[in-house]
Amino acid sequence: MHTLFDFLTHTKGIAYVVAGLLLVSYIPFWRFLTERERRH
Amino acid sequence: MTVTRRGFIGGALGAAAAAATADAGTVKHFEGYPGRYGLLHDTTLCVGCRSCEAACKEVNGLPPVTEPLDDPTVFDSIRRSTDTSLTVVNRYVEGGDDHGAVYRKLQCMHCNEPCCATVCPCHAFEKTPEGPVLYHAELCMGCRYCVMACPYYALAYEYDNPLTPKVMRCTMCYDRIKEGKLPGCAEACPMGAITFGRREDLIRVARERIRKFPDRYIDHIFGEHEFGGTSWLVLSGVPFRELGLDEGLTTEPLPAIATSYLGVVPLVITIYPGLLLGMYAFSKRHEAVAAAEREEAVTKALAEADEATQQKLAAAADRAAKDKQRAIDAAVKKALADAEKGGES
Amino acid sequence: MSEVAMDATPPEAPGKGGIFTPFNIITTVILLGGAAILGLRFTHGLAATTNLSHTYPWGLWIGFDVMSGVALAAGGFVTSSAVYLFGMKEYKPIVRPALLTGFLGYFLVVLGLLADLGRPWRLPFPFIKSAGPTSPLFEVALCVALYLTVLFIESTPPVFEWLGLKWWRKLVGSMTIALTILGLILSTMHQSTLGAMYMVAPTRLHPLWYSSHIPVHFFVSAVAAGLAMVIVEGMISHRAFHHQVEISAERFESINFGLAKAAAVTLAVYLAIKCVGLAIEDEWHLLGTGWGAWFLVELLGFVLLPCLLFAVGYRERRLTLVRVAAVITVIGIMLNRFNITFVAYNWNRATTEIYVPSWMEIWVTVAFITFAVVAFRWIANRMPVMYEHPDWKGVH
Repeated sequence: MHTLFDFLTHTKGIAYVVAGLLLVSYIPFWRFLTERERRH
Repeated sequence: MTVTRRGFIGGALGAAAAAATADAGTVKHFEGYPGRYGLLHDTTLCVGCRSCEAACKEVNGLPPVTEPLDDPTVFDSIRRSTDTSLTVVNRYVEGGDDHGAVYRKLQCMHCNEPCCATVCPCHAFEKTPEGPVLYHAELCMGCRYCVMACPYYALAYEYDNPLTPKVMRCTMCYDRIKEGKLPGCAEACPMGAITFGRREDLIRVARERIRKFPDRYIDHIFGEHEFGGTSWLVLSGVPFRELGLDEGLTTEPLPAIATSYLGVVPLVITIYPGLLLGMYAFSKRHEAVAAAEREEAVTKALAEADEATQQKLAAAADRAAKDKQRAIDAAVKKALADAEKGGES
Repeated sequence: MSEVAMDATPPEAPGKGGIFTPFNIITTVILLGGAAILGLRFTHGLAATTNLSHTYPWGLWIGFDVMSGVALAAGGFVTSSAVYLFGMKEYKPIVRPALLTGFLGYFLVVLGLLADLGRPWRLPFPFIKSAGPTSPLFEVALCVALYLTVLFIESTPPVFEWLGLKWWRKLVGSMTIALTILGLILSTMHQSTLGAMYMVAPTRLHPLWYSSHIPVHFFVSAVAAGLAMVIVEGMISHRAFHHQVEISAERFESINFGLAKAAAVTLAVYLAIKCVGLAIEDEWHLLGTGWGAWFLVELLGFVLLPCLLFAVGYRERRLTLVRVAAVITVIGIMLNRFNITFVAYNWNRATTEIYVPSWMEIWVTVAFITFAVVAFRWIANRMPVMYEHPDWKGVH
């Protein structure tokens, strides 16, 4: 990893994937949280 | 040796500071590939013969120079590189009685941290370990963000090409230097205005020249640090601004500037869902509370109305009863009076 | 089987008859001309159809179709967020037209890109072949692609109602909140990142337009643009589809006044941010230059002025002022994006290199807009966009 460009390519690539997965996992988390409200 | 209180605290702080700088995990500095090549362009030696232009065209298989090499009128305007001319020489200062004309060769600067590479959405640029920045046309979709971004106006595009247009720029003759040859321009220059070598060596050479001839050169090597540094270093006898180079440029690498905002993206993705679901829940709760309050007000109003009605009914019944009683009393009184009257006659 | 009630189809527009209406003839000419020019672009290159140069690689197709188009289509996420996330149910009647305008607007953006890219068939490359995650344009491309999908799904309820597909209609209805949130996330990112694309060019974009806060400028101005565009679109479609509209004139007016109030605040915020920017970068002295005068024209004539018009229009309940303000704002957004893309960009290059759009670039842009208008009209004439389908009245 000799250049800032290489570093940024590496880190931002991972960041996109991680952020995307977190975003998607928000839906089951929210459904888990509000299950009781939906049961009523 | 006694340890004074001040000495102890000072020592502790010093140790903490040393530890902080030693653990530079979050503050990064990149030196680039060691031993990479570069070129030194000494504009005090350039005479504007444009042999480099002709050589570049030949080496890259491009159409030959359109303006003849001995035609001085070509310098009447400032030119830039195009899709068929990867490098041009401009005259920035006209020759006078006491000074010669000043020329500079323009081409891709092969930056240490290329912004063309940073802004390309297809990762079509590559900073090689040897130094040159390469463009891979097979990955390019032709958005021309690189052309837009380059602060040295070094990239051109094949607008005439309807289906396979490419970005055109100096390649530092990558194939030639891999074979151990000189780039076409460096080989062709008869004045030694272009020197090819390892970048770190060229910086030393440049410093040495400045030191030896302080009256000849401006004390600055352009490209050493500008926007993170370039592979193409320039020496000049006139202020760089006159050569079309802005020496007041920040040393912060353009990729850092260009991508600084992108750090917000993961934050938006991760914070917004919680924030917005919270607002949604809040607005739903607001509605529910407002509905509940409305209901309560209606019930209360009904109850109050009920009570008022009851009271009214009671009062009316009371009045009716009183009226009836009065009527009865009056009738009784009358009857008694009548009876009394009848008794007398 | 289709259960479309007989009274679900919109009443016939008055004066409808025959294929050769003036509207149809003019739009066909425009669209055919645009197609011909695009054919020329792919047989003779961008040089034959545009005035793009090596110094000005981006011109009208980027400045209008992409930059302005995305900003003007922002009404979709602004109105849907207001109604579904912030509970402002009184704006429900304008959500569908705003979403449809948004979807067609973003579709226009993609069309513009396909015309402008050197190799448009390689548009998916960043996602399937070679990704450049350091690039703001990569993020824009990803967000726009996802948002176009979100807008597409959000535009399907009127289609399913029209076709009587109740199960599908229920399905997309249940996704409304999630889609709205996703839309707001994606819009925040790509609206601001379109501005961030210019962070890389501090030496090429004039300092009065360049700022380390350009992303914020772009996002706030996009919100204003979206609100103004919803008002303008309402102005036109309310009249064109008057026979369909079910809400009262007073209701429609009060919606417009609400939008005007929001626009006044947004423009005021934008003005404040620009002033703070001048202070932070110590650029006051630049206002005295020629470029400074042009900057003030943009800021005072197309930000401050509409802000005041919106404010007075709202206060005094004068709809005409609101509409004038909306038109000025829409023009102002285009002016701002043009300034950033090719007017104040390269401000320090020789005037011989200046870029002016070619008539062919203008024709193609007009053709794209025409296509969007035709599509909007076709959809609104058949599907419950300007009114509520009787089977689904009052539902999400």
